Amino acid sequence: MGSSTKKKKEKKKDFQKLKLKVGKAKPKASNFTDTSFKSKSIVVNQQTLVAESSDPAEQFKQNLSLAINAKSDNQRRDALAYITNQLSADTPNNPVGTSGVLTKLLPLMSDGAASVRTQLLKLFRSLPPAEVGPHVEKILMYVRSGMTHLSNDIRSDTLNVLEWVLDVAGDETVSCPGGWLKTLNSFSSMLGWNPSVGSAMSAKGWTSSSRPTLGTKKGPEAQARQIQVLAKFIQTGFRPEAPVPYNAVAYWDNIYCLPGMPNPFAYLNLFGTPRDEDSEMYPDRISRQRVFDAKWRAAIAAGMDGAKKEGGTVGRAAATLDKAMNGRL
Amino acid sequence: MVKRKVAALEKVEADLVNLQYKIRRDPRSYAQEFYDQWLAYDAQRQIFVSSPATVSSDDTKKFHDLVDLVAHVADLYPEVTAPFANHLKELLIQHHATLDKELREKVVGSLVLLRRKEVIDSTSLLTTLFPILISTPSKTLRSLLYTKIISDLRESNSKATNHRLNRTIQTVLHNLVTSDRTSTKGMWATRITRELWRRQIWTDARPCDVMKEACLSDNEKVVVGGVRFFLGGDKEREEMEDESSDEDIDIKKVKHQSTINKKTKKRQKAYEKAVEKIKRQERRKHAAHPLNFSALHLIHDPQGFAEKLFQKHLQNTKNRFSLDNKLLILQLVTRLVGLHKLTIISLYSWFVRYLTPKQLNVTSFLASLAQATHNLVPPDVIEPLVVKIANEFVSEASASEVAAAGINAIREVALRQPLCMTETLLQDLVMYQRSKDKGVVMAAKGLQSLYREVYPELLQKKYRGKEATMGMRSGQVKQLRFGEEEDGGIEGIELLEKYKEEQRQKKREEQGLTADGDAEKKEDEDEDDGFNSEDWEVASTDSESSGGWIDVSSESDDDEPAKKRRRQDDSEEAPELVDTSKQDAATAEYNRISKLATTTILTPADLAKLEELRREAKIDKALGRQSKRKKELIEKHIEDGLTAEDIELPAQLGKKTTKEERIARAREGKPEREEHKSTQAIRKAKKEAEGKSTTNKEKARKKNFLMTIGKAKAKNKRSLVETRNVLRGHISRSKSGGRRKNGL
Repeated sequence: MGSSTKKKKEKKKDFQKLKLKVGKAKPKASNFTDTSFKSKSIVVNQQTLVAESSDPAEQFKQNLSLAINAKSDNQRRDALAYITNQLSADTPNNPVGTSGVLTKLLPLMSDGAASVRTQLLKLFRSLPPAEVGPHVEKILMYVRSGMTHLSNDIRSDTLNVLEWVLDVAGDETVSCPGGWLKTLNSFSSMLGWNPSVGSAMSAKGWTSSSRPTLGTKKGPEAQARQIQVLAKFIQTGFRPEAPVPYNAVAYWDNIYCLPGMPNPFAYLNLFGTPRDEDSEMYPDRISRQRVFDAKWRAAIAAGMDGAKKEGGTVGRAAATLDKAMNGRL
Repeated sequence: MVKRKVAALEKVEADLVNLQYKIRRDPRSYAQEFYDQWLAYDAQRQIFVSSPATVSSDDTKKFHDLVDLVAHVADLYPEVTAPFANHLKELLIQHHATLDKELREKVVGSLVLLRRKEVIDSTSLLTTLFPILISTPSKTLRSLLYTKIISDLRESNSKATNHRLNRTIQTVLHNLVTSDRTSTKGMWATRITRELWRRQIWTDARPCDVMKEACLSDNEKVVVGGVRFFLGGDKEREEMEDESSDEDIDIKKVKHQSTINKKTKKRQKAYEKAVEKIKRQERRKHAAHPLNFSALHLIHDPQGFAEKLFQKHLQNTKNRFSLDNKLLILQLVTRLVGLHKLTIISLYSWFVRYLTPKQLNVTSFLASLAQATHNLVPPDVIEPLVVKIANEFVSEASASEVAAAGINAIREVALRQPLCMTETLLQDLVMYQRSKDKGVVMAAKGLQSLYREVYPELLQKKYRGKEATMGMRSGQVKQLRFGEEEDGGIEGIELLEKYKEEQRQKKREEQGLTADGDAEKKEDEDEDDGFNSEDWEVASTDSESSGGWIDVSSESDDDEPAKKRRRQDDSEEAPELVDTSKQDAATAEYNRISKLATTTILTPADLAKLEELRREAKIDKALGRQSKRKKELIEKHIEDGLTAEDIELPAQLGKKTTKEERIARAREGKPEREEHKSTQAIRKAKKEAEGKSTTNKEKARKKNFLMTIGKAKAKNKRSLVETRNVLRGHISRSKSGGRRKNGL
């Protein structure tokens, strides 16, 4: 029996009330954790308590980093708004330059918050159009990534960005490497008009090709918008180049002057990885048309016919596209 | 790089995991969606490739997710995703140093996944991963790649050996080791080879060749890796095999639990799995043991290898390897010499410098020397070494451990080449059994008993012992000659022969054959076997007459073999112990034996019988007297390696052990107990842990006192008759198996 009484005592021990004694410190609880610490010195990194830095350049940079890193949507949007203001002021304040702003902010195109995206578009519009040209290739990468994004909103907002790029630097857009065919790929996937997937599937004896679900979820308005932007894109691509005014010294300039634009020998692709058909650059209208006829005309025409039959806004947009394709616009 | 939180709504929409699930369920319907994601992947990839170093964390994350998706469904859309594997390879090869850690891991994992889905083949995967493994500075990536490479090789060899892949990889490893002998990159070759050897995936000569080249490298680490492989690789392999067979399941327990617990499909499956596993284990137990040669045996051209190894790393004075590593190399060289009976004469003179008691790790040197000795080493090469050991180690002035180690080392050398000893030196060493130290005594006695067995002539008469003296007289102990090889044969074949003869005899008797026919037949057989006793008789008498038996007692050392023959003849002549006819019979039988093995094919039944007879004979021998040395020689293969511990062993005998050592030795092999507890308590705890109940006895002992008090009181009040009846009942019950009549 001895062991059982011992056990009983042991069991009781946990529930016994501790006796408090006068003049003695209160006993520590069993789960007490000693949190006191000793430190010889406290190091404080340089820190300014002044929220508003007087230097506008610093402030601009701070907002730029806020726009990327801030966790709250509102904070990001506000930072973007601040930058937009700075850029669209009478004397634009841009310490990092257009390229700096673009490289930092392009990833925001697929930001989760709609307000951020609309603000971003405003910001882009306030950039000086002449300086956007050299960065078109990079912008297009993000545009294509956004156009194939899973989220519908992001896709439609991306179209706005594409429209803006077409406005400010249309020629560069369609002639940069990958700018023509790859963007068309994205469009066709958006609209569900792509022949490659259909053929890949029908080869296996699958009768009904799947209906595009990504593009049509939001109804005809979204599709009409997509067709419109596509029409604009194709129209830009097929636009006859403005004849270069005669310049008597052009020949000599070509030989002896430094070229006026960045990367003038891009079409040679001297240092990049070898390009395939999709990412090749199509610098002039004829080559663009040739590739389009070979790869996309049939598919887009087929899709367009379907869209025309639908009528309404989609039909009207398809009609515009038709005109653009046939160069009647 | 803090990841931004994704809003809930967006998460639902942009859920790639969900999409992946849907695609896998119904790839045809989701082809369009997949194509979109493929384009997204492509776009993201371009963003990434355009500036991999400065890309934002968001983009990296997106790319990571897209790679994951595409990799998981790549096998469903082979046409669309054809360039995917190449993309990943390029990315990894070009940017592995700058890639984000998670993304890098994902790319490696995706490549392996593609391999598992058989989108790419093993060769292309391994040839991608291997160069990165060698060149990357990141430790985590290296370990990841290493495990992936090993597991892929394992998997592709799991069903059947993939010879082609193995050959490719082995060639790559071989080239890696041989292309740049000074670099540490060869380490990876040794590591991979060793691991695959351990797992018995590679068991042929090619990996040994890789390791051989590693041993001949200039880099110390690579050399040590190769050497360690040869010294310990096979043991590791055996241990691995034991380990894998160790894990056993208590099927009874599983079955029992299934009766108690709720019956679910999951539990049922677990039970079936356990049964299947046990069956598999059984099958493996009964399967034929795969014949795996040890790496040391598979070496091509061991003589050249050992010579090169010795010249490059040991003899070369410019070599700056540490002593430990040199010792390892020496071990390998000497092991090869002993095992393959190689001849490297300069090796023995090289040893001289190191055979002093002050040399660091001298016992290892001594062990290596013993390893390097075999019966084909000229005795005059070893003799100076033995003399040196004796002079340096064994003297009254030297410490007892040193003397013991020295004598033991000499014994080990002499065990392998008994001719290395001179008479005076042996006498001197044997005298050490009068020493005060137990270790020295044991070592000296060991040397003495060795020589009693192998070469008693060298011992003084009084040290020879009874058996050796008798053996010498009867001529059983043969004279040793340098380079003489014992005839090989099948152990116990003579027993089988005898048995067969007996059986034939019996059969004939049963058939009632006449004695004539029997004799005739026997004669025929004798002729067949080439048995001609008369020839032998004549020859032996010849030698008898020519040999001068007067020389026997002289101790002259000149012309030993001649002397020996004389002595042998003499011993045949002098006492009545043995007669010539008996010897003749022995030789005749020997001839017949060789005939049996070469003229007939032994059937499995024969072999089984042979095994049985051998066992019987062994029991007979064990009952009778058989020298310890012989047993030891049988048990311990002379070819096995020798370690420094073996040399130090006798010195341990004289040492007093401390209390800790004694306790440790007592605890050895017993189950761990964390606190002091009685055996009973431990057993009880074990039982409880197994979920077993208590015994009736225990229950009775633990029963509450108040519950038993009534019966106890009543017992006191019983009458004598009642008590008698109770006792009788007890006896009868105990005879008839208790109240329940157990066992009836």
